[in-house]
Amino acid sequence: MRTAQAKTQAYMEKLRALAAAMWTKRLAAKLWLGMREWCGDSAYERYVQAQKTKPEKSCLLTPAEFYVERVNRRYSRPSRCC
Amino acid sequence: MKRPVSIVIWIVVALVGAGALGGIALHRGEPLNATWFVVAAGCSYLVAYRFYSSFIAARLLALDDSRATPSERHDDGRDFVPTNKWILFGHHFAAIAGPGPLVGPTLAAQFGYLPGTLWLIAGAVFAGCVQDFIILFCSIRRDGKTLGEIAREEVSQRGGFIAQLAVLAIMVILLGVVALVIVNALKSSPWATFTLAATIPIALLLGLYLRFLRPGRVLEASFVGVALVLFVVVAGQWVADSPSWAHIFTLSGVTLAFALIAYGFAASALPVWLLLAPRDYLSAFIKAGAIFSLAAGILLVRPQVLMPPLTRFIDGGGPVFAGKIFPFCFITIACGAISGFHSLISSGTTPKMIIHESHARFIGYGAMLMESFVGVMAMIAACAMTPGVYFAINSPASIVGATSDAAAATISSWGYPLQTQTMTDLARSVGEQTLLNRAGGAPSLAVGMAQIFSSTIGGPRLLSIWYHFAIMFEALFILTVLDAGTRVGRFMVQELGGRVWKPFARTAWWPGILLSSALIVGAWGYFLYQGVVDPLGGINSLWPLFGISNQLLAAVALVVATTILLKMKRLRWIWLTLIPMAWLVLITMTASYQKIFDPNPRLGFLSYAKVLAAQIAAGKIPAAKIVDTQRVIFNQRLDAAVTAVLAAMIVVLIIEALMQWYRILSKDPKSVLHETAYVATRWTEDFSGASYPGTAAEPETPAMEDEHANRAS
Repeated sequence: MRTAQAKTQAYMEKLRALAAAMWTKRLAAKLWLGMREWCGDSAYERYVQAQKTKPEKSCLLTPAEFYVERVNRRYSRPSRCC
Repeated sequence: MKRPVSIVIWIVVALVGAGALGGIALHRGEPLNATWFVVAAGCSYLVAYRFYSSFIAARLLALDDSRATPSERHDDGRDFVPTNKWILFGHHFAAIAGPGPLVGPTLAAQFGYLPGTLWLIAGAVFAGCVQDFIILFCSIRRDGKTLGEIAREEVSQRGGFIAQLAVLAIMVILLGVVALVIVNALKSSPWATFTLAATIPIALLLGLYLRFLRPGRVLEASFVGVALVLFVVVAGQWVADSPSWAHIFTLSGVTLAFALIAYGFAASALPVWLLLAPRDYLSAFIKAGAIFSLAAGILLVRPQVLMPPLTRFIDGGGPVFAGKIFPFCFITIACGAISGFHSLISSGTTPKMIIHESHARFIGYGAMLMESFVGVMAMIAACAMTPGVYFAINSPASIVGATSDAAAATISSWGYPLQTQTMTDLARSVGEQTLLNRAGGAPSLAVGMAQIFSSTIGGPRLLSIWYHFAIMFEALFILTVLDAGTRVGRFMVQELGGRVWKPFARTAWWPGILLSSALIVGAWGYFLYQGVVDPLGGINSLWPLFGISNQLLAAVALVVATTILLKMKRLRWIWLTLIPMAWLVLITMTASYQKIFDPNPRLGFLSYAKVLAAQIAAGKIPAAKIVDTQRVIFNQRLDAAVTAVLAAMIVVLIIEALMQWYRILSKDPKSVLHETAYVATRWTEDFSGASYPGTAAEPETPAMEDEHANRAS
């Protein structure tokens, strides 16, 4: 009886540890995604996705072309304040 | 049950905030703990955000989440990108937070901690946040148009032109004054100069990596870049310890000024991916890290605020800058309470990325609250050092003397005791030869930050590393403002020049690029140079000029906002923008008048020019210095003229706005609102931008479209 109880307890602890690990992993993934979005790391993926949803098809820029175009546009208007 | 609990919680928050504010205002005698400031600011922000901003959102603006925002209607994955509200908050905050909220409160600490802290909190809650929020809303409803375009449509053609000129004017003065802050922080400091100089090759390396090796992989490149920057902060000590290297990096103010002018020109003319963009990535990460570390440091250390609530300099005779508490406390604090420059961010990039109108409250109002909190932290850091040390660092040599003995004697005579040895020991402990006469706010803030950081990690042993980390952090993002601002200024000059001669407007035409870069760099470079050679320290003349132009732009934004609200028939609540606007006009005009005409030579540009001219006429100036003195006279008259032009611009804009308001109130059919037509959103209410619109709601039925068309009309 005691062995069964201990087994259940150990099993529950493992489950709890697994849930905590999964929660941490999810949080870390969310933070990582957020950081990528914030700094513009995922901008090209966004652009490709946006182009896919458009009815009219235009020539897709390469990552390097997109990057240069993006920073050129971004720094042609006030982007940093006093 | 839930509602009474919420009411009780909010009553407690309001009472705690009011108690802390009362404590700050009425406390006398023993030094106050910084916790009081954090609690007062935090509770005030919470109450303001919960009640005031939601009142504005619901009653004044009537935000409508059923309306498609520009990011939905024009989604192109480039400018118009639907973005999660937390991410966009981060973007917006990174864009609006610059050196202003750090330097302004540090300089305003010469009046004591009380006036600056109260204005930082009240100014943000009732003016700055309101401006950012409403301009963001107005731009969302106009497809992300800029402030100048909105002013042209809603006020008048001339109003739009004035707004554009005001932007160019503030840009030139801002760049000159922030460059002066860097020069005053770096002069005769080989450690700090080497650290900042080393960030240029690091940024170039990052630029090449992001362009050719791993295009657009910003995160991995930034991690490497930040690690390298932190390494050069430490390596700067080895440079300072080596006589031959230290000699190379020990530069005078004038040399540093020319180096910055050359850097600004290069950053404006070179491809943006090579230097400007990678430096901005570095700066954004270090800025975010340093601001959060400062907040954590203040909460952990809870330093004592040693500055008195009010100093003797409220009468206008302050050594850091001249002028009475009204209007110069408000002019000096600038960005921490309200900044006109924010309206350019609120009407440029952010409205094109917002998903729902209701997010404008969190992003527009909330981000400005956070900026105000940065200002409060800067005030704490500046006031946590002894007043004598604060005045020794921030006062020019012409007032306190150039030696430790003279500075200690003068400052002690003001009632703020300072030992000669204190400044020598402090300079040695932060790895500098001297900390005297470093007006500009950056070094004193760095000392305050270093003292807070070293109380958490490393103790006095790491004080010098923390000091140079803080200097690097301030200088790095000031340089980012400098290069990004120069480039934008270049485009403005090209646009204006293009009206006279069309080829000049072509942004890829090299002669145009070089000439416009030279013009904009020459303009701010002139202000920088005059600040460096100014016998009164430069900051005394230029920071108020910057404050006036910045607050003027905020008044322009509030004039535009008021006009739009009148057109939206929100007459009952018009005081929400009208009162801050009137206040800004009052302080801007008073400060302008005093800066031009005040008989005190330290305050009035013209009277200082007159005193110097009289000294030349009386033969009191040595022959060798006559040319220099004549240049100072010319600079004073130029500053007076610039201030007069800024004041005239706001007068003209107000006249234009009053005429427009009269037409609106007399129901002139020509005064119409220029909002884009209502289009119903196809996104579900919980669409957060985390994924692309696969979760679209059903298309509208004709009946719904009719209803919305009626509502829009």
